Amino acid sequence: MALIELSGVTKSYKRDAIEIPVLDGVTISVDEGDFLGLMGPSGSGKSTLLNLLAGIDRPSRGTIRIGGTDISALSERALATWRARHIGFIFQLYNLIPVLTAFENVELPLLLTSLSKKQRRDHVMTALGIVGLGDREKHYPRQLSGGQEQRVAIARAIVTDPTLLLADEPTGDLDAKSAGEVLTLLQRLNQEYKKTIVMVTHDPHAAERASHLLHLEKGTLVEQTKVSA
Amino acid sequence: MKFLGLVLKSASRSKRRTALTMMSVAVAVFLFGALRAILDGFDAVAAASSATRIVTIRSTSMIFSMPVSHTEVIRSTPGVTDVTWANWFGGIYKDPKNFFGQFAVDPESYLRMYPEIQLTPDERKAFLDDRTGCIVGDGIAKKYGFKVGDRMTLQVGIPTYGSRDFDFTIRGVYHAGGAAVDNQSMMFHWKYADERSTPQGQIGWYVSRVDNPDRAVQVAKTIDDKFANSPYETKTDTEQAFSAQFASMLGNLNLLLGSVALAVVITTLFVAGNTMAMSVRERTTEIAVMRTLGFPAITIFLLVVGEGLVVAVVGGTAGALLSRVIVNGEALGLTGGFIPAFGVSNANVAAGLALSALIGMLAALIPASTASRLKIVDALRRVA
Repeated sequence: MALIELSGVTKSYKRDAIEIPVLDGVTISVDEGDFLGLMGPSGSGKSTLLNLLAGIDRPSRGTIRIGGTDISALSERALATWRARHIGFIFQLYNLIPVLTAFENVELPLLLTSLSKKQRRDHVMTALGIVGLGDREKHYPRQLSGGQEQRVAIARAIVTDPTLLLADEPTGDLDAKSAGEVLTLLQRLNQEYKKTIVMVTHDPHAAERASHLLHLEKGTLVEQTKVSA
Repeated sequence: MKFLGLVLKSASRSKRRTALTMMSVAVAVFLFGALRAILDGFDAVAAASSATRIVTIRSTSMIFSMPVSHTEVIRSTPGVTDVTWANWFGGIYKDPKNFFGQFAVDPESYLRMYPEIQLTPDERKAFLDDRTGCIVGDGIAKKYGFKVGDRMTLQVGIPTYGSRDFDFTIRGVYHAGGAAVDNQSMMFHWKYADERSTPQGQIGWYVSRVDNPDRAVQVAKTIDDKFANSPYETKTDTEQAFSAQFASMLGNLNLLLGSVALAVVITTLFVAGNTMAMSVRERTTEIAVMRTLGFPAITIFLLVVGEGLVVAVVGGTAGALLSRVIVNGEALGLTGGFIPAFGVSNANVAAGLALSALIGMLAALIPASTASRLKIVDALRRVA
């Protein structure tokens, strides 16, 4: 069953009077429980596509349906509420809040829910446990390695049990060992916890972990591959 | 409440910068409290002034004296039921820094005129009976440790009173029963000062009681008319007008002090606003991340305003407490006892806190609006 349905999605940016096309009529469908890798050269539109899926950007034309909701038709406020409930976003540079501990960073999305303090604590500790950092709850980002920071960021992304996990080059800033750990974790989230994941990557090794690959070039879908297990 | 921790953590991001902003708000609120205390003090004096007392001074200025012969002329004015007088002595108690008001008064009529000067019957009698006796307010008694029976010496501060020191015996410690009288002064027998004065028989100001407050202005005019075209022309006013005039010797206080307070508040607003803007600018990516996580624009707006509010109110509370401790404790000696019941009132503390909250909110308004309207993708791209 398709969780993500993009139909004729076009995106262009205006720079002064010039319109720069980024995505041109992209139509894709991603099943629930899939682990999709988005590949392509710089400027091919893969990050833009990820931003559109996350609801932090809007298409110029076309529709985006996720879990049956046409997110391109939602108001800003409704879109924020939808993001809080359905999207877990993993950034390349982790983007943890430096003045908050690992626990507080992971708790951040839960502040938007009606959960009690104790319930929030339980959720946060579960998420930190899944990423293997249950013992680092009081550490600040500066006290963690890059790999650990990214795992905390993953815990923050999964703590609300979102419908969809989006990762923008999650291993792009990590050494090979840490990158491997993060990819193993993402794979585990997909296989064990049945999370649907869309990951943008340049790295062929990272792409191998996905179950499907989409290749974008100049804003157009050029190839769709199924990765063999 | 669950966002409070987030607000506090954000505010403590740059501890030095936050502390400096807090201090600037604290100084603004402190100055506000102190300046309001001065203005309120003058207002209280004017409000507590008796409607039946009128004050006569030389028309040129109250620093010039009048002959004692004016006494009977004033007393005989229709509508005047009683007259007393006083002189500014301006002596020095041990050190010029020990400043308090000293008045040479006609004891009996002065105490009759000012029932607000509250003494025990024994103290009153002892003062009236002793030509070198004096009474002191309980404010300066506390400050200098004066007790009934103590000896006290004042050096002469104004050459009119000669060059020899004046010795006194403290015969009473009075309590001020109204704001028209302060508790920071010392009074002694006019005759004691007069006998060493050159020339003798000089009066600083007269205070008369009128039988009908509605006629006070008319009686005042009659007194002044009596001395018109004489070498010692007078200017008579109600006590309230006299108090206001006394205060206005320092200029238009309301405008002056109000302008200073406004300038300080506006400067602080700019300082706090700039700090908040810097703080938000540094966090552009974080705010974009929070928006990505689902934080609505209004929540981001309120978080930034809340941060401004916390910083300003903490600073404001410190400033208000300081003003209570320092101004009410008279540590600064701001009025030298000239304003009875001088101090920062609870209302002014509350006003100071409200002012700090206003500074915090206004300072955060533009940065909060910028943060809440941030385009997530642009903000993330700026760093990536």
